[in-house]
Amino acid sequence: MSHAKYSVINTHVHNIDGVAKVTGRATYTFDVKLPGMLYGKILRSPHPHAKIINIDTTRAMELPGVKIVVTGKDTLGIKQGIWRRYEELCDEQVLPLEKVRYIGEPVAAVAAVTEEIAEAALDLIDVEWEVLPAVYEPLEAIKKEAPTIHEGVERNVNVTRHIEWGDVDEAFEDADYIREDWFKCSGQAHMCMETRAAVSSFTPEGKLTVWASTQSAYYTQGLLAGVLGLREGDVRVLAPYVGGGFGGKFELDAAMFCSAVMSMKLFKPVKVVFSREEDFIASKRRTPMFYYVRTGIKKDGTFCARESRMFSNGGAYTGMGATALYLSGFFHSFPYKWRGYRYDGYRVYTNTLPSTSMRGFGAPQAMFCSEQQIDWICADLGLDPFEVRRKNGHTEGYEVPGQAFIASCGLEQCINEIEKWVKSKGKLPANRGIGISSCGFMSGGIFNWFDSPYSFSSAVVTINVDGTVELHVGCQDIGQGSNTTMAIIAAETLGVKVEDIRVHSGDTAHCPADLGAWGSRQTLMAGNAVKMACEDAKKQLLEFAYAEMGINIVYDLDIKDRWVHIVARPERGLPYGDLVKKALRAKDGQRIMGRGYYTPHRKGMISPAYSYMMQAVDAEVDPETGKIKIHEVMTAHDCGQPINQLGLVGQLEGAASMALGYAYLEDMPFEDGKMMNPNLVDYKVIKAPEMPEAGIIEIDTYEPEGPYGAKEAGEGLTNPTAAALGNAIYNAMGIQMKELPITPERVLKALREKKEAQK
Amino acid sequence: MINDFHYLKPASLKEALAMYAQYDDCKVICGGQSLLIVMRQGMVAPEYLLDIKHVKELSYIKFDDKDGLRIGATTTHREIEKSDVIAKKYPVLVAMEEKLASIQTRNWGTIGGNLAHADPAGDPGPVLIALNAEIKFGSSSGEKTVPLDEFFVDYFETKMEHGDLVLEVHVPAPEPKFGCAYQKFNLLDSDMGIVAAAASVTLNADGTCKDARVVLGNAGPVPLRVTKAEDLLKGKKLDDALFAEAGQIASEEAQPVADIHASEEHRRHVLGVLTKRMLKKAFEQAQKA
Repeated sequence: MSHAKYSVINTHVHNIDGVAKVTGRATYTFDVKLPGMLYGKILRSPHPHAKIINIDTTRAMELPGVKIVVTGKDTLGIKQGIWRRYEELCDEQVLPLEKVRYIGEPVAAVAAVTEEIAEAALDLIDVEWEVLPAVYEPLEAIKKEAPTIHEGVERNVNVTRHIEWGDVDEAFEDADYIREDWFKCSGQAHMCMETRAAVSSFTPEGKLTVWASTQSAYYTQGLLAGVLGLREGDVRVLAPYVGGGFGGKFELDAAMFCSAVMSMKLFKPVKVVFSREEDFIASKRRTPMFYYVRTGIKKDGTFCARESRMFSNGGAYTGMGATALYLSGFFHSFPYKWRGYRYDGYRVYTNTLPSTSMRGFGAPQAMFCSEQQIDWICADLGLDPFEVRRKNGHTEGYEVPGQAFIASCGLEQCINEIEKWVKSKGKLPANRGIGISSCGFMSGGIFNWFDSPYSFSSAVVTINVDGTVELHVGCQDIGQGSNTTMAIIAAETLGVKVEDIRVHSGDTAHCPADLGAWGSRQTLMAGNAVKMACEDAKKQLLEFAYAEMGINIVYDLDIKDRWVHIVARPERGLPYGDLVKKALRAKDGQRIMGRGYYTPHRKGMISPAYSYMMQAVDAEVDPETGKIKIHEVMTAHDCGQPINQLGLVGQLEGAASMALGYAYLEDMPFEDGKMMNPNLVDYKVIKAPEMPEAGIIEIDTYEPEGPYGAKEAGEGLTNPTAAALGNAIYNAMGIQMKELPITPERVLKALREKKEAQK
Repeated sequence: MINDFHYLKPASLKEALAMYAQYDDCKVICGGQSLLIVMRQGMVAPEYLLDIKHVKELSYIKFDDKDGLRIGATTTHREIEKSDVIAKKYPVLVAMEEKLASIQTRNWGTIGGNLAHADPAGDPGPVLIALNAEIKFGSSSGEKTVPLDEFFVDYFETKMEHGDLVLEVHVPAPEPKFGCAYQKFNLLDSDMGIVAAAASVTLNADGTCKDARVVLGNAGPVPLRVTKAEDLLKGKKLDDALFAEAGQIASEEAQPVADIHASEEHRRHVLGVLTKRMLKKAFEQAQKA
């Protein structure tokens, strides 16, 4: 299928909200200010595990300017969670009634006339605690004698997940070589530019309006309605601009909940904005994981079987962790064909910050282990890592047994391109190496743990009399540019220009429900809904064009660049604007309106489509200090048909910075349950001057399930990097890095151990 | 959250010193790159802030072949980084400034503020001590000049007393066969140093070492001179073995404190490596000079 003929898709389109953002006119939740608005602050637990005996708010209430102090007793006390289909996984009271389970957990909230007064009032809340023994690491928490974090949860095991296909034991028996390794993958902060924030306004009519920094206005609406005892329709969530999400902003957070609870009691707007420290210690984080990986392979490089056990540090609550547990195990098999595959994941509660989804959704951890071990096996057996990956990689038409069907796959081309690129670099200087890593990722999940009765994505398109287009979507722009992507798909489908489209999103009162921005789902799912809505509207327009032009019905009509024409005779036609005016008249003055939706069916267990990629990282190690320098990152990437060219480059560079940070800089060390670096001096993220070149080679494929052949592009790009860096260091220094982040001290330790072993 | 304070804006040095003498609970601000961080954390909450940004008399870079370099206290890091004469005469200062935090910080932060803040992880301290600099400070009742390596007393403490402002940094004119180098160890190039080392070497006409300085950053409460390593080198013909030995001494003499960024052991090890490397680099510069 030819797909090079587009007039808007994959052209150089600037973000449609770029000007509003760079001129400071974009209204983020942080910027919302309403008449009579109060400012809320949250009192947080100083203990990792403690019973709340009593909370005395008297002194705080006496402070002039304080309007309310609330605790768990002022709420309905509902245990909530985003896996709301499963009661046992709804385990979090945002303001707990009985006990706290991590340092930073909300205990009470204050609203006052200024932020300063609210903050001062926190010191006047007297809490009586009974401190309980605490446990911080999953391999400790799973022991019999460990303290119980949630009543009735045996050995603190929150969720388990088993994935298996083929006869694993038999496949291992066929293997000529078996290797096993343990790995430790760290947590990571989402580090959104905009911290968690919400402004809630409850009015005497019984309606609640909430501005929220969220990845899914619809989820926020549903979750808030649930914990507040309101109907979903009485809760309106607005999220016109969101300063980043990265997987950390589609659950209910304390800013949303506490502002809403206090507003409902006062009938006044209340704003809660997390400080950077609060965002670090009391939002959620990437899930730390311990991985045991056992792989069997034939001498010729054919993969036989893999068996893995994973123990994750779930922290205090479930959050999105149950999904990360599944996806980590599934993508740990990627992108290869295993005759036998078995994964057992255990998500363990601990008295630390809850873990959840974060860009890559468990896959970056899984790939760090898998892709390094494959390189080590290749070295053990004298095999070529490119060749082995080619030999065992997914191909078009492959079925991951019982899990997924691969309709499009450019993995082999990705491997070929990166192999060429690596070879073109020639021999590298001492202490410098290039590492490779391949992987794939989903284009949206086929999961409905939220139990949404709505289509996964929906869109409504309306054409005004002057030809301008109102596009209403539920998909959420969180800075990744989905509004621009949807405008491009709409413009392409309708045959108009991007500037003809106005995108309406981030408002549950006016936009159709949509699961939101997570799991790389929007381009494929919302994109399909937008395409369907626009095709619907366009069909109606073309009906009038047929009547107007009086042409033979065997001719096809189309619209391109605002020109309605006969496909076979493009010069014969009429301007789009003229057609719209006439069509509207003929419809008794009604605007042309199209509707579209998308819900995946018969697409396996995980996702309708998968992206593929191979990445190379060129890095250098200072053998005396252990310091790592990243020279370059190059990625060959199959995302099907790219839709938003600049958006894709932005995603690639952003993912590289985030994933490199995960690989060698970012860490969240805890001591007795307390995070030791909750600030931007001590928590290290790559800054612009240190960002290496990150290039991309686009591999041309067509995904039949995606709009115009598109697949995911952005989240999956965080998956390969830590492993590619590990492999670069292995190639440069001959050391195997089994723990993240790869710090200078760990490098030196590995170098010392290598020296010892050689003696 | 930053507390409320009274803002004082003197127009001249005389006025600034008079104001500073008058108010007890008063902190001096210029670029604010150190002070605002501790104020935001609530660690410092002064009643008065004395803003000397507009005291133009203290903003200058002067060089004279005999007298050397004089930098006024309110000169910004960026001005030092971009100074042609400093690039020519003291390239180590430019190299140090280029890695000092971000451009935004260098545009605001001043050399006087940096030294007065006396953070042992600060970059200018070790380099200026290796360059044998002295510092002039004073109050409404008089001025004083001390060698910079005597200026720092403890963590965030200097010889200055309340009412004293940093006025000037003076770096002597470089000797004919002189070299100086500085490097910090960190994960990101523009970050604070986990540890750092500055070294300078002056050679005699016969190539032997006339003088050497080794100064460690973030290896103790103040920028730390390793005189034992310096003494090892003086009078000798320098070579890699001596640099390694000096590094070993530096590693032993250092008093680094472990935190999440590095263990004490790793800090000592890296200080040894950096000392060795900086001495070698300074030596090679001195040879070429």
